[in-house]
Amino acid sequence: MNYPFWGVPIGYGILMAVIAVVHVFISHFAIGGGLYLVVTERRARRRNDPATLEFLEKLSRFFALVTLVTGALTGVGIWFIIGLLNPAATEVLIHNYVWGWATEWTFFVVEVAAALIYYYGWKRMTAAAHLMVGWIYFIFAWLSLVIINGIITFMLTPGRWLETGNFWDGFFNPTYWPSLVMRTGVCLMLAGLYALLVASRYEASDFKTRTVRYTATWGLAGLIVAALSQYWYWKAIPATITATAEKIMRTPMDALHYTIWLAVAIGVLLVVCLLLPRRLPMAVAVVLMVFGLAWFGSFESFRESIRKPYIITGYMYGNGVEVARTAQYKKDGYFAEIAYKSGDESADLFMHACRSCHTLDGYKPLKPAFDGTDKAFIAAIIRSARLLRGNMPPFLGTAAEADKIADYLYQRIDHRPLAEICKEQGIDLGQKAYDVRCGNCHIVGGYRDVSKSFVGLSADDLSGLLDMSASLGDGMPDYTGNATERVALVAYLQTLGKQVKK
Amino acid sequence: MSLPNYEFLPAPLWLVTTLHLVTLTLHFVAMNFLLGGVIIVLHAAIRKRWDDPTLLKFGRLFPAAMAATVTLGVAPLLFLQVVYPKQVYSAAIVSGWFWLMVIAAVIIAYYALYRAAFKGERVGRVSKTALVVALLGLLYVSLVYSGVFSMAERPKLIHTLYAENQSGLLWNPALGDWFLRWLHMVLGAVTVGGFFVGMIGRNQPATYQTGKQYFVVGMVLASLAGMAYLLSLLPILPAFVHTPAIWALTVAILLSLGSLHFFFKRNFCVSGTMLFVSMLGMVYARHTVRLLKLAGQFDPAAWHVASQWGPFAMFLICFVIALAVLAYMFRLFFAANKGAA
Repeated sequence: MNYPFWGVPIGYGILMAVIAVVHVFISHFAIGGGLYLVVTERRARRRNDPATLEFLEKLSRFFALVTLVTGALTGVGIWFIIGLLNPAATEVLIHNYVWGWATEWTFFVVEVAAALIYYYGWKRMTAAAHLMVGWIYFIFAWLSLVIINGIITFMLTPGRWLETGNFWDGFFNPTYWPSLVMRTGVCLMLAGLYALLVASRYEASDFKTRTVRYTATWGLAGLIVAALSQYWYWKAIPATITATAEKIMRTPMDALHYTIWLAVAIGVLLVVCLLLPRRLPMAVAVVLMVFGLAWFGSFESFRESIRKPYIITGYMYGNGVEVARTAQYKKDGYFAEIAYKSGDESADLFMHACRSCHTLDGYKPLKPAFDGTDKAFIAAIIRSARLLRGNMPPFLGTAAEADKIADYLYQRIDHRPLAEICKEQGIDLGQKAYDVRCGNCHIVGGYRDVSKSFVGLSADDLSGLLDMSASLGDGMPDYTGNATERVALVAYLQTLGKQVKK
Repeated sequence: MSLPNYEFLPAPLWLVTTLHLVTLTLHFVAMNFLLGGVIIVLHAAIRKRWDDPTLLKFGRLFPAAMAATVTLGVAPLLFLQVVYPKQVYSAAIVSGWFWLMVIAAVIIAYYALYRAAFKGERVGRVSKTALVVALLGLLYVSLVYSGVFSMAERPKLIHTLYAENQSGLLWNPALGDWFLRWLHMVLGAVTVGGFFVGMIGRNQPATYQTGKQYFVVGMVLASLAGMAYLLSLLPILPAFVHTPAIWALTVAILLSLGSLHFFFKRNFCVSGTMLFVSMLGMVYARHTVRLLKLAGQFDPAAWHVASQWGPFAMFLICFVIALAVLAYMFRLFFAANKGAA
């Protein structure tokens, strides 16, 4: 809370993803592509294969343009965006890992110079010298992954660093090695997919046949390494995190499942490329590339979202609230800790407590979640944030601050009765009322499902339960809906009880 | 369990500051070559001052210069953030959109420079449109940097601006803070660009003459802008003249004049060295201005230091290896060129 809050209407997650996904994709491609270029060049020179050398020269021009410009600059862009979106977490990283980043910078300098020399050196350098520069490029590009991997994985699994604060404890954390192996596999896979795209543009010929077959082998080898080490990565994440994710976090689990299905699809298509290389159509290569992007995007989404509620596990919550200062926040509240104030206390509290993850009606919107409710209900939900599905950070401010955020939200939601907003009645209205009033914590057939407790209860019993809801468990709010919603909700709860009976 | 504190410097302040100042000066060398070079080449191309092959030769150098500018710009930004995270991030957030668009501007400028280089190779003449696009991108970046980094030195202004608007669409309203600073930087880039044009084009009389003119005129104008900027710092000027920075600045000015003298004598090595040391002196003087502006609000010496010597040694070793590898690769490349010639 030492920083101003950037009040952009776009969700922070989207802003981050736009830059980060482009960068991680290109940066991994830059490593794998470097290896592909030099290994293939070596092979072509040994076989005295001018067609392949010409293919590689073309490849390296586009490769240099994409990696040196968009790749490098979106890397700098990640710095810019994390400083804007979560300056507190960036400060933690910069103080702890500045020498890691400085080391990566030395590799980056060599990588950039090598890429330029490699590209400009095709016609000017001897074969041996050109290959040497190619190897230097790949080695230094991969070394920059070796470094940045330590910092990325630290954020999810800081390991013993939480006790020692030691650079190396955080760097060589529990997911460091599986992530490094997996990302290396991804590099190979992306290089293969990209080269397939270029090769697919060639007319059917012997050259195309052998290039597609050779390149598909790269993609397949990378995919196998990445898929196997992804399992290793999953196992290396502390069980407390994965168990919570399986139980209550849909986003990372969905993303994980996407990676599995996409890996299968990529694998099948690559096998087809191996079997039918001569006439590989560009459309298939494009689909492969899109799948590769989607696979990697899903993995990054998994990695980012499974870290919830933290930005640095066990150390800092996603909204920049430091775990170590929990007592301080509980005592004095958030507002006292907010360094930059806008003059609107409720807005400041909302920004710092909620807005890093939620917009009002865009990305992860709060308005639809609270439309048709009331201040008391919203405040109760805020106070119990730690219990909500999705693994939210706890609300550490004071009760009065929760009321102020509730007031801020209440002023911005739809005040009409729920029935009017959703234009439903009867059981359907009851289901909607359940989603709004109960579904944030109790998922039917899933997390904290309480359907069993409705078995055999009459409408009066259920109505009575609603009257005493605040006393039914930790964080339960009072039922504050109107009479129409109550009747509909009770009817819906009865159907839940009956479904259990069946 | 007590969690680790993150509010520390991972090396003594003097070390981080030295690394910041040295890498920033290196960044300025590359940036000045690029920005000044683009301005001069564009001007020459419009006025048809040089023959096309010479212009194309410069055009081919710009993408590599851009790569060097970006690469050498990463390190000083890194070291700056270690010491001044609260100031820099806060100022960046207030001007968030302008700050973020720096990336888009650099990408556009970069591709425009590549386009100018590739098109030049293909059609045999400079693409003025591409160079204009690149120049606009570079000027945008320089403006935003001047605006944001000047604002970072005025925490109270950041508080006031933030209270007015949180959208990240605010520009530094203290014109006196950033405009003269920016102007001095751009004119300085033209000066250094003139030096490089003269040095690279030393065998073509027209090119050398143009470089010389830009070097001289740029230096005069940059000095005037620098002087005006210094005078705009009136509130801190009395304190400034009592710091070692005033001597650094004096030596820097003398070295600039010296570099001009040796440039006329066509001793580019001595001239260039003097120019570099002069820039280092000015960067140090500017650093002192930052400290004086922040005095009473933030003192970098107050940071708790918890040195990470192991990781620092890793950086140092890798840095030396990187230099050696760079030298080796350039030797391979230029040896091949010499052979080809």
